[in-house]
Amino acid sequence: MTLDPRITGRFEYGQDQQVEGMLHARILRSPHAHAKVLSINTSEVPQQVVTLTRDDVADLEPLYGPMVKDQPIVARERVLHVGDAVAAVAAGTPREAEEAIALVEVEYEEMPGVFDPVDATGDAAPLLHDGIEIPAELRPDGRNICHRFRLQSGLGQQGFELADVVVEDTFAVAAAAHVAMEPHATLAYWEEGRLHVITGTQTPFNVRRDLAALFRLSEEMIRIVVAPMGGSFGAKTFMRLEPITAALARKARRPVRAVLTRGEEFLTVNRHPARFHIRLGATRDGTFVAKSVDAWWDTGAYADCGPSVCTKGGYAAIGPYRIPNVTVDSRCVYTNLPPAGAFRGYAATQGVWASERVTDLMAGRLEIDPLELRLRNLLRDGDRFATGEVMRDVRFAACLRAAAEAVDWSEGRKNKGLAVMLKGMQTPSRTGVALEIDAGGHILLRSATTDMGQRPDIAQRNLAAEALGLSPDLIAVGPNDTDLVPFDTRTTSSRSTFMMSNAIREAANDLRRKIAERFEVAPEDLVLSDEGAGVAGSPDLSRPLADLAGLRGDGTFVTPGGLDPDTGQGIASSHWHQAAASAEVRVDPETGVTSITRLHTAVYAGNVVDRPGAELQNEGSTIFGIGTALFEGIVFEGGQVTNGNLSDYEIPSILDVPDFTYDLLEGGEHSHGLGEMAVPVVPAAIGNAVAAAGHPVRNLPMSAEAVLGSSTSQGLRRPSSPQGGWEGD
Amino acid sequence: MKIAVQVNNHPVELESRADETLLTAMRRAGFRSVRLTCGIGVCGVCTVLIDGQPISSCLVLAPAAAGAGITTTEGLHDGDPIATAFQELSAFQCGYCTPGFILTTRALLLENPDPADDEIRHALAGNLCRCGSYLKIHQAVRRAAESMRR
Amino acid sequence: MEEPEWHSPASIEEALALKVRLGDAATVVAGGTFTGILVANDLIRPHAFIHLARLPGLDRIEIGDELHLGAMVTHRRVERSSEIRESPWACVAECFASVASPRIRNQATVGGVLCDADYASDPPTLLVALGARVRLRSPSGERDVLVADFIKDHYETALGADELLIDVVVPRPPRHVTYFKFKSRSSEDRPCVGVAVAAEVDDSGRCRSLRVVVGAVSGRPQEFPQACAVALGDRITIDVATEIGHQYSELASTLSDVRGSAAYRKRLIAVLVRRSLETLAA
Repeated sequence: MTLDPRITGRFEYGQDQQVEGMLHARILRSPHAHAKVLSINTSEVPQQVVTLTRDDVADLEPLYGPMVKDQPIVARERVLHVGDAVAAVAAGTPREAEEAIALVEVEYEEMPGVFDPVDATGDAAPLLHDGIEIPAELRPDGRNICHRFRLQSGLGQQGFELADVVVEDTFAVAAAAHVAMEPHATLAYWEEGRLHVITGTQTPFNVRRDLAALFRLSEEMIRIVVAPMGGSFGAKTFMRLEPITAALARKARRPVRAVLTRGEEFLTVNRHPARFHIRLGATRDGTFVAKSVDAWWDTGAYADCGPSVCTKGGYAAIGPYRIPNVTVDSRCVYTNLPPAGAFRGYAATQGVWASERVTDLMAGRLEIDPLELRLRNLLRDGDRFATGEVMRDVRFAACLRAAAEAVDWSEGRKNKGLAVMLKGMQTPSRTGVALEIDAGGHILLRSATTDMGQRPDIAQRNLAAEALGLSPDLIAVGPNDTDLVPFDTRTTSSRSTFMMSNAIREAANDLRRKIAERFEVAPEDLVLSDEGAGVAGSPDLSRPLADLAGLRGDGTFVTPGGLDPDTGQGIASSHWHQAAASAEVRVDPETGVTSITRLHTAVYAGNVVDRPGAELQNEGSTIFGIGTALFEGIVFEGGQVTNGNLSDYEIPSILDVPDFTYDLLEGGEHSHGLGEMAVPVVPAAIGNAVAAAGHPVRNLPMSAEAVLGSSTSQGLRRPSSPQGGWEGD
Repeated sequence: MKIAVQVNNHPVELESRADETLLTAMRRAGFRSVRLTCGIGVCGVCTVLIDGQPISSCLVLAPAAAGAGITTTEGLHDGDPIATAFQELSAFQCGYCTPGFILTTRALLLENPDPADDEIRHALAGNLCRCGSYLKIHQAVRRAAESMRR
Repeated sequence: MEEPEWHSPASIEEALALKVRLGDAATVVAGGTFTGILVANDLIRPHAFIHLARLPGLDRIEIGDELHLGAMVTHRRVERSSEIRESPWACVAECFASVASPRIRNQATVGGVLCDADYASDPPTLLVALGARVRLRSPSGERDVLVADFIKDHYETALGADELLIDVVVPRPPRHVTYFKFKSRSSEDRPCVGVAVAAEVDDSGRCRSLRVVVGAVSGRPQEFPQACAVALGDRITIDVATEIGHQYSELASTLSDVRGSAAYRKRLIAVLVRRSLETLAA
């Protein structure tokens, strides 16, 4: 067996990319959360070092952003968060760049900042963005709000009049760090007016589009080569280092590579902190009749994909339940914190936490078994979700039952908790793929699916092999280069296996047609095998695949959909991620330390394409969920990250992971992504277990101190409104 | 300054300043398996073995390593039982932390050929894998131990 | 920026002479975990390093009436020394084993952890409870200082500008010694609270001496002998354990960090001191 280069360490990630004559970049970042940039003086920087300030990008589009154009390459008049890029340098060595950046002098005038998404919507809050253009599909209704997703179904709030019992509470989820082991890394160079960017990104076509707009070029003048990533978890989506690196390279007329430090990672993109106020109404028999979700998503200084986060988190907080009357008001709010963006478990983590804690509050109030209550209300095939879409291929109950059984739910509920969720996929969406026979007789698969460690090449090869009836060994995945691969929306939201499986089937059919044409037979008469192509019943016509070199099949798969931002009606997701979890805990009543004694996740996996990969994804998601549940949270003070290193911000080690179990529920017609289904349900199940142990926690993470503070025996301080205190835990 | 070391049993002269770390010097010399993640000795991604013992190369000032015998995964050969077990059991995802886990495992198994599950977990606890491949890593260490005892 | 000098002296005399000559410009490197963090993250920019690795004798472990740990003995060696493990000082090995990961313990030294005086550490707490001393050498001679007096505050010690810590001397521990490292987050965390108990208990179960030290909650390990007095001369009961825990909780000054607030730590001290003493009561 030849050793995999990932094992020998010879594998090349984004940070390992280099080209002749490359310079090294460093970024000067704002020490202030909100300030005017009065002056920038680079005169002390040595001549041979290239500097980049606002004056160097004056000829470009001033702002970029995947949903709202609100972010400059380097600060213009103001800095809006600690870590905001003010200037950059490129030098011959990283050390030279490091020393040069210290020689740039910036004069600031500090301004008041706002660090709380509820405060930021108040009249007293400083206005972060003035005069930016908000796209027509967004609803910037309110101060510092860049988007507001509203949903109303049935009677909306009036539905609560039908309820015998109403429970409500407020919840908060802290910011979290992705902590991909490899930091962000980008290399850019210009050749004859064309921009080449080699970068670790999940979103090459978004980056190409947005760089084209920023540099006022046609998309053909931009080439994105995707480097494999040492983890991403959402961090390497949309533009991160690409604009500043490309602008430095433009000025330097040399290739430039930028690699972030660990500390900079915490200032670049994090998970949205969120607040919820949720009300749930039910009849005495436990039938849900009304629910309202009020949410505030802190997107930080720049919107990034926040408007989409507030939408997806808004409907995820409804939960996979049949509720006739629902209102959602979910706000994406600017503050002076570092930007928040996509994060494994995308918005569902926050929404499911709040929603599933409320489900248990209702179970407690009605004195109904939480499992029974959920089963009574779960969406079933043919039901309409609050968005109006009809649910198909529904497995919520199967997931939940499997989870409950794994912790012997029926034998007692002491210290146990459950959670179930629905999570949408990026919709509408489009994927293209090509299958091309090369001169060596291999099938070259051309796809933009990016590799962040989720083994996409194995999955895609298996899918293509199955669709063509060939061995996976014959399928090779081509370079991930926007010059060479068909358009694909992006590798996010666990969409790729689903989207690609459909597009690959399409491409395989197309290729069979092309081969059949060559043989002048109908596609049904074509026989394809590892030995070659031939015609049924005429073995003498068989030819090796190499003889067919150059033939190419193309496949495209498109899903329609989208939600109306004012009513929340439409198609939220072309298919649903469905999962449940169960947990049993032991809480030390004197220290608040939670030990997980049992943990199980059950996720709807559809057709499993790469079994070890599917297992790894679900195990990893579960472990991500444990970190979010128990101790991961970024601490901000006055906009400063106070724990921006891996000693103060910890991620789970092998000793933090209990022996856990899981089910990949198979079946159905589709292959599903399962890269993040366990992330949202694990914290909620643990939280419900901790609550069942007498500690009704409302916030994530459930630090030992917070658990102790929430103990029922200590008395819980409950704020009267979401604007009130959150000191209870 | 030039710092003479042995890397994977070959003499290597590392070019480094006195205030640079062994990690920086190793990467400069082309050992890509040695990678920076936390820079404070917490994550284990930059693990190398010095005279058979794992250390964080991000914390060792390069001159302090003068004369050391350093092991990295670049020295792995096909058939290495630990690497083989990691590969066969798919005990990695993005692979960025994998060299550190393999080296930590090697140090463990050379001293303790038949570790109990708890000993494995304690030995590996200082290596972090954000993709969360711990279950399969644990299985791989067990399998490697078995095959090395045979 | 000019490249710093690297000195690797071959004798203690040479090292001391360098330290005197270079003064503040020089940073002494023992295992180097702490200096490694500081230098690599650009928190200090020394003009010279004095690396102690070649100094003879600083890597020895000697057990006699007292345990001698040379300043350059690594945590890992203390942890794994069968000589220590099988001696009355086994608790010292246990405590050093609780620090960070095997990787760090392979590098971090006994002298280093005391000279860094980082509050979130384990060994100082136990060493104070055991009445350990550090031996400091200067060009003019040697002096012994109790660890309790050596660590003065955050990153501040009694080490003179012309001195090197060469040895840590641990008296024979009493019959009952425990160190409990309380972690509030990951298994890999540093201590949120450390509690060391050293008690002499006679054959009839009466407590003859008791030292309780809490660490990792402020700039230096804290001990309150007056609170322990209640335990002397009799069996330690659960009530006595609880009482001492409360006293410690009240008397200790605590700080807030990511591992817990000052108030949480106060609350925890009462619990953890009581629990540590309960094992004596049992």
